[in-house]
Amino acid sequence: MTANNLLILCAAGMLVSAYLMVGQKALFTAIRLYGLQSLLLGIIAATIAVSKGQHALFVTVAITVVLKAILIPWFLMRVIDRIGIHREIEPFLNVPASLLACLGLTVVGYRVSTGFPEGALGVSHHLVGVALSMLLIGLFLMVTRKKAITQILALLTVENAVFLVAVGVTSGMPLIVELGIAFDVILAVLVLGILVHRIVDRFESMDVSRLSKLKG
Amino acid sequence: MNLLVWTLAVPLVTAAIGGAGGPRKFKDAVLIGGLFVTFALCLVTARQFLSGRAPAAFGDALRVDGLSALVLVLCGFVGLLSGSYGVGYLRRNEARGLVTPRMRREFYGLIPGYVFAMLLVAMANNLGIMWIAVELTTLASVFLITFHDRDTSLEAGWKFLVLGSLGLGFALLGTVLLFAAGQGHLGEGMSALHWTRFMQAAASLHPFTLRLGVVFALIGYGTKAGLAPMHTWKPDAYREAPSPAGVLMAVGMLNGALYCMLRVHLISTAALGPEFSGGLLLTLGLLSVLVATPFILIQWNLKRLLAYSSIEHVGIMAIGVGLGGEAGVFGALLHMTYHSFAKPVAFFSAGTLAQLHSSSDFKRISNGTFSRTPVASALFVLAALMMTGSPPFGLFFSEMIILRTGFLGAHVMATLIFLAALVVLFCGFAYQVGHIVLGPPRDPADRRKPLPERFDLGMATTIVAAIAAAVSAFYLPGPLIALIRAATEVVRGGGV
Repeated sequence: MTANNLLILCAAGMLVSAYLMVGQKALFTAIRLYGLQSLLLGIIAATIAVSKGQHALFVTVAITVVLKAILIPWFLMRVIDRIGIHREIEPFLNVPASLLACLGLTVVGYRVSTGFPEGALGVSHHLVGVALSMLLIGLFLMVTRKKAITQILALLTVENAVFLVAVGVTSGMPLIVELGIAFDVILAVLVLGILVHRIVDRFESMDVSRLSKLKG
Repeated sequence: MNLLVWTLAVPLVTAAIGGAGGPRKFKDAVLIGGLFVTFALCLVTARQFLSGRAPAAFGDALRVDGLSALVLVLCGFVGLLSGSYGVGYLRRNEARGLVTPRMRREFYGLIPGYVFAMLLVAMANNLGIMWIAVELTTLASVFLITFHDRDTSLEAGWKFLVLGSLGLGFALLGTVLLFAAGQGHLGEGMSALHWTRFMQAAASLHPFTLRLGVVFALIGYGTKAGLAPMHTWKPDAYREAPSPAGVLMAVGMLNGALYCMLRVHLISTAALGPEFSGGLLLTLGLLSVLVATPFILIQWNLKRLLAYSSIEHVGIMAIGVGLGGEAGVFGALLHMTYHSFAKPVAFFSAGTLAQLHSSSDFKRISNGTFSRTPVASALFVLAALMMTGSPPFGLFFSEMIILRTGFLGAHVMATLIFLAALVVLFCGFAYQVGHIVLGPPRDPADRRKPLPERFDLGMATTIVAAIAAAVSAFYLPGPLIALIRAATEVVRGGGV
């Protein structure tokens, strides 16, 4: 089954891109990795659409590729360019330790995915396993990184993971819902971008660990 | 046009006009008028539901049952209060030269926009649309939290957006998993995500996928409701948001998010029995009440105090639902209703105190406010009495009902802990409020001379809200009781 091989290859690629993001300090590269991850998600959706004949999924493909592989990365790069900050500073946990932690998270993700109706066999097991691992890695990125942009990327990784579950175990969400979600994602990224701008203007840094006045 | 469409269209149009600009008096009139019509339409919708014709639109994508009708009416009520107080609030800030044109546009656009999103949450029968509407409230709140554009408001806004988006990511995953659990039983197209469809197919949902979905969805929407341990955005956001927006979050969003949790809880109950999600709700609720306790005792800011009180109250509602049984659910919904009456009074009087002293920090307000700003202080004391569940006010009764359910049921130990926390909370709140209102004034060096109290629209709204809240303890209108009963029916019987 070539279609299945392609699916597994792309899913593995998404997981690898998440790992690379964890090991990456240059923000531009991290954004490109996110773009690549979204593109792979698009290919997965397209493959399922063709092999199972579910043409409604092509809308997901279009949204994913246009929005997440092109528009959002472009927008984030523009934000970075404007504020002129290009590198992540030392994270709360160093890279080797982070990668090791993510390895553990992947094991957990795969373990949980065995409970799904398709069981421990088949393609959708891999898709769900990868998705849950990516979800956990996204959460991990969010708590260990300091730069506002990296936190946005972590959020978007979580969102990609959710979509991978959606195409992996369902035949895609109903169309209107999908469009609404896409619209909300655009809005959220725009709002995040605006907020990053305001934070940089004010604090002359996008190190979110400086946002620490409010306690108690 | 359909009634529900009207109810949604009015706040949306109000938001569009308010965000566009124009003379101030005109915008004031549009905001208050629009929100008044919205509230009236909510009442009409509820009446239509009570008269036996459940309103629906767009092929059942929007549908009002007892639970939705209750949340709808409460949201409309709070929206109107918030708009009318907000106009007065903005005028006071204008007198102090704090209002920029950007603020005015954002304020008049976002308040009704927020109301629109809340109403959509309550009406949506489709889990996908419900999620989209909750996300809209999140995005609107970010701008309301960063409204004053201080360092701390950016911090609060950022924390809220990151945590809120993460929570919503979880809720979306939960929704996807619920959908996956029903593959092959829910049918095709848009209606496959209808809540009513889930309830019909409950018996054939795949248990493992469903469990996972329920956990993610409850944690996700729980983040928005501010249940511990996902509550950390709340004190920051409440402190920074202007009081009229704070009340939308503290009542509207809280009710809306809890409503979403209830919907998920109902699906879970129909498929797996009440123990699974009920246990989760009970745990989160108890944790919230416990977490709120120490922070109320050591609090240094008036609005953060309200935030922790709000965490406590959402915890109490979750406990009520989690304990289950008709009485528990009825108690929780009654609590929601009384809380929606009491919270605006607290927010408005605290907001007035903060405005008169140019800060909501205890240090800046200084103690003994009663001698300087008697009306706002008296209203705040009244609100504090209501919110701590002192008799004869409403929250006392609802807390009693929940406690009674707990002691008669299987969770006596949890109820004991809950009762102990309530007592400590009462004392802590009374201590804080007593100090602020009646305590000896602090060192004159860090005391501010407050502005004089004026009887303006903001004050008038606060007094009206206070009267409504006080009267509600002794007399709830018959239709409102009928709505609470109908909502209880929905939660009890799965009422499709």
